[in-house]
Amino acid sequence: MTESGETKVIRTACGIVDGVRCGILAHVKNGMLVKVEPAEFPDPRFRHICARALCSTQLVYHPDRLKYPLKRMGKRGEGKWQRISWDEALDTIASKLTEIRKKNGPESLAWAIEVMAYIRLASALEATMINPIGFGDAAGPCADEVTFGTQYGHLYTMDLKNPGMCVLWGANQAETRPYYWRRIRDAKERGAKLVAIDPRFTSSASKADQYISIRPGTDAALALGIMNVIFERGLQDKTFITQHTVGPFLVRGDNGLFLRERDIVPGDSDNYVIWDTETKRPAAYTQGGTRPALEGTYKVAGVECKTAFQLLADLARQYPLKTASEITEIPAKTIEKLAVEYVTRKPVASYRSMGLQRTFHGDLSWRAVTTLAAISGNINLEGYSEGYRRFLFDGGTMLYGDRFPRPMPILKAYASIMDGQPYAIKALWLAGHNFMNQVPDNNVVLKKLVPRLEFIVVSDIFMTDSARYADVVLPTCTFFEYLDMLPPLDILSPYVQLQPKVIEPLYESRPDRDIVNEIGLRMGLPKDFPLSAEEYVKRVLSSGHPSMEGITLEKLQKGPVETPPYTITGFNTMSGRLEFYSERMKEYGQELPVYLEPLESARRPQAKKYPLSYISTHTKYGNHSLMANIAWLRELNAEPLLEMSPRDAEARGIADGDMVVAFNDRGKAKLKVKVHEGIRPGVVNINEGWWHHQFAEGSYQELTHATINPAQLAVFEPNSAMYDNLVEVRKAD
Amino acid sequence: MAKRYGLVIDLERCIGCNTCIVACKLENGLEKGSWIRVDTIGGNHRDSPGGKYPNVSMHFLPVLCMHCDKPPCLDACPLEAIFKRTDGIVMVDEKKCDGCQACLQACPYGVLVYDAKKNIVRKCTLCAHRIEKGLEPFCKICCEAEAMYFGDLNDPSSSAVKVITTRKSALLKPEAGTKPAVRYCPTRQGRIE
Repeated sequence: MTESGETKVIRTACGIVDGVRCGILAHVKNGMLVKVEPAEFPDPRFRHICARALCSTQLVYHPDRLKYPLKRMGKRGEGKWQRISWDEALDTIASKLTEIRKKNGPESLAWAIEVMAYIRLASALEATMINPIGFGDAAGPCADEVTFGTQYGHLYTMDLKNPGMCVLWGANQAETRPYYWRRIRDAKERGAKLVAIDPRFTSSASKADQYISIRPGTDAALALGIMNVIFERGLQDKTFITQHTVGPFLVRGDNGLFLRERDIVPGDSDNYVIWDTETKRPAAYTQGGTRPALEGTYKVAGVECKTAFQLLADLARQYPLKTASEITEIPAKTIEKLAVEYVTRKPVASYRSMGLQRTFHGDLSWRAVTTLAAISGNINLEGYSEGYRRFLFDGGTMLYGDRFPRPMPILKAYASIMDGQPYAIKALWLAGHNFMNQVPDNNVVLKKLVPRLEFIVVSDIFMTDSARYADVVLPTCTFFEYLDMLPPLDILSPYVQLQPKVIEPLYESRPDRDIVNEIGLRMGLPKDFPLSAEEYVKRVLSSGHPSMEGITLEKLQKGPVETPPYTITGFNTMSGRLEFYSERMKEYGQELPVYLEPLESARRPQAKKYPLSYISTHTKYGNHSLMANIAWLRELNAEPLLEMSPRDAEARGIADGDMVVAFNDRGKAKLKVKVHEGIRPGVVNINEGWWHHQFAEGSYQELTHATINPAQLAVFEPNSAMYDNLVEVRKAD
Repeated sequence: MAKRYGLVIDLERCIGCNTCIVACKLENGLEKGSWIRVDTIGGNHRDSPGGKYPNVSMHFLPVLCMHCDKPPCLDACPLEAIFKRTDGIVMVDEKKCDGCQACLQACPYGVLVYDAKKNIVRKCTLCAHRIEKGLEPFCKICCEAEAMYFGDLNDPSSSAVKVITTRKSALLKPEAGTKPAVRYCPTRQGRIE
C-alpha cells in the first residue's frame, strides 16, 4: 500500500471476469474508489487489464446497486418489494430454511453460487450444492477425465515452448482468454502459423493465417478425417503412441475391454497385454523388454483381439477426406493440408475451448481433438508440470468440519425441482449466480421450476433476473468491499493474490461471508461455525496444502505470490497412459472418440421447421450477465444483436438493423439483427449475458434446451449444449 | 534536441478489445465518448469483417489525436485556442475555445470531440498530465494487446523509436501532410486503413 497525496493506492485482484484474476491497483480517495489500473507481476506476461475492469467504478457506484434487504410483496417476478431490516431478512431466511429442512430433509435446501463462502454453510447443513460448471463448461472436463484422468488437461495440448502451429478449435482466445492469447501471439511473432476453426469469424480468427469455417458440432469428424490422412500416410508418432498411450494394448473383440494377463492365465495379474512382435506372442507390457505391435488383429486365449490403435485407425478409416468433408463442410484439400501440417509443423498447439464443448456431444469433439494431438505426437508432457496450479487450493478449507455438501449437476436440478427426482429441492439460494438468466430452457426455469420452489433467496449486487423472482433479496458487496484470498483462476497463472478490503461496503450491503455466519448461527449451528474473512485467510494459509508452501500473509500483503509448481508424472488414468480408448465409455458406444451428429443440427428432421443453428457466444464486452448494465460498455455494445449472414437474411426478407424474432418450440428472443459477413450461413448467434429486459421480448436462453447427456453424467456431469440448438428467424411484425 | 512525444501502434497486435477507449474515459473523466476510437477495418459494423464469407478479413485501427507536426486544427482555429507544446503535444486551451468547431472540419482524422455541455472542443492530450509526472499515456499502459509503444520520437533509446527502426511503420493519411506523431505498424497483410 502506498500513499500519494490523499489518494491511497491498494493492490487487489479483479473479480469481474471469471477464469482470470488480473492484478489491479485500486486508487481510493476519501474512502471512494476513483480509479483502477493494471498491477505488475513478477512475470510480466500476467500484467493485464481489460475494458471491463476499467469500468470498476461504474460497477461499484452503479445507481442500481441493491442498497438494503428486500422482501417480496407481490407475485414472484412482479417487482413489488418492501424494504426490510437485516435482522428481519436474516430471521425470515433462517426460520424458513429451518422449517423446510425439518420437513423435507437437509438436501431440500440448495445453493447455486459464484461466491465460495456459502460452501461452508451448505456443508454444515449437509445441503445441496448445485455445481455451476454444467452450464457450459462440463464437457471438456468430462473428456479430459476420460483421456488424461484429470478434468483440466488443457496444458497437455497447448505446447508452451515454440509451437510451429497453433490451432484454435472453437476458441476465441483474443476476446476471452487473455493469457492464452499472449502465448499464441508470442508464438505467432516467432513464426508459428495460426489456424482458427470456427463457425464465426472472431477477433482471434482475424489474426489467423488460415480461417476454417466448420459446420457447428462436427469437430470430431474433422479430427477423425485428419487422423485418417495421417494414418494412411504412416505419419503418426509411433514412439509417442507406444510409450504414452493405450495404443499398443490389446482390446478383446468380445467385450471391448482391455485384455489382461488374468484373461490368459486365470489368477494372474491385471496387467495390460500387448502383442510382442519379437516373440510373436502376447505379453504383459513392461517398459522396455518387449516390442509391442501397434497394429493388427491377434487371437489370444481364444478371443480375437485388436490393438487399441488398430481400433482407432479402423474408426478413422470411416472418415476418408470425402466423408469428412461432407460432414464438416470443409473442403477436402483444407483437411488434407491441416493433417499434413499437424505433423510437419510440430510441435502443434491445439487450443480446445468453449465452442468445442458446447454441443451435445462436445465431450467427444474434445476427445477427438485430444486424440489427434496424441497420435501426431503433439502432447506436451513437460509443460504440464509448469502451469497446472489452478485447482491446488485446498477445497477442504471452505468446508465446515468434516461435513460435505451434496453436489448436484445443474441440469439434474431441473428434475429435482420439478419432479422431486432423485429428491426434491424446495429452497434455492442464488449467491452471485444469475440462474434465471444463465441456465438453458429459460421458459421451463421460469414457468416450471420457479413456481415449484417454496423459497428463493438471492444475494447479489443488483436486482438481477434471478433476484426478481426471489422471496428475499440481500444486498452484497463488490470485490472491492471485502477481504478474500484468491487462488490463481487461470490455468496458466501461478499466482495467489490477496483481495483486501479496499473500500467500506456501500449502503447496507454486507459481504457474503457475514451473511453465511449470521444465517448459520440463526439456524442453530455450533458456536465455532462463524468464520471471519481474516480467519478464513489464515485457515487457507495454514492448511498444510503443498500449494501454500512458503506463502504467508505478510508476503501476500506485498503482492502476488507464486505457488510452487505442481508436477503430474504421466497420466492419472486407470492405465497410467493417455486413454484415447476408454473401457468405461464402452457401454455408451463411446470407447473411442466417435463422431455423433449434433442433437439439433441442420441435418436433423426438425431442421425443416427450424433450419438455423443457434449459438450464444461470449464477448469482450461483459462476463456472463455481469456488466450488461454498465453504461461505458453499453456505449460500445448497446443492445443484444442477432448475428446473421447476408444470405440467410436475404432469404427471409430481413435487412440489417431490422427487429427480428428468433424462435423455436421452447421460446423466442426479439431483438435487432446484425447482418454481416462474420458468421457462417446457416448459423445465428446472440451474445450471451444480456438481461431479460434488454430484449424486446424473450431472451437468448429461451431458445436452448437442457437435455442431459448420459455419458457425460456417468463420467462427471452433463453439460448444457448451448451451441446445439435449432431456431428459425423472422422479421418482427 | 527538443522532445517529440508520440505513439506507435502495432495493428497486427491490436485485437480490438476497446480497452484504450475505456481507459481514456476513466483517465480523463469522460462520462460520454472517448478521445480514442477503435475502427473496425472490414465490414459495415464494429467487429465485422469485409469480403464474402468465408473469404473475409478484418483488423482494428485505434485512432486518436495524431499530435501532428503541422496540425490543420491549429490553423483552422480562429481564436488560437489550439496550440502546440514544445514537446510536440497539441492541446486545446479550453478557456479560449468558444465551441465554433472549425477545427472539427479541419482535422482529417475525426478525433476532436465537441462537448456540448461545456460548449468547447476537447481531445486527446497524449495524457500530458501523466507525461509531466514521468508516466506513460493511460491507454498505452492499459493496452490489453500490448500493441502500443510510447516515447520521445527524437530519442533513439525510446521504445517507440526502437520499434519504428526495426519494423515497417507508416502514417495515417500521409497525403494530408500533417506529419503525425502517431505511427502504425501495419498488419501482416501490410494494411493500415
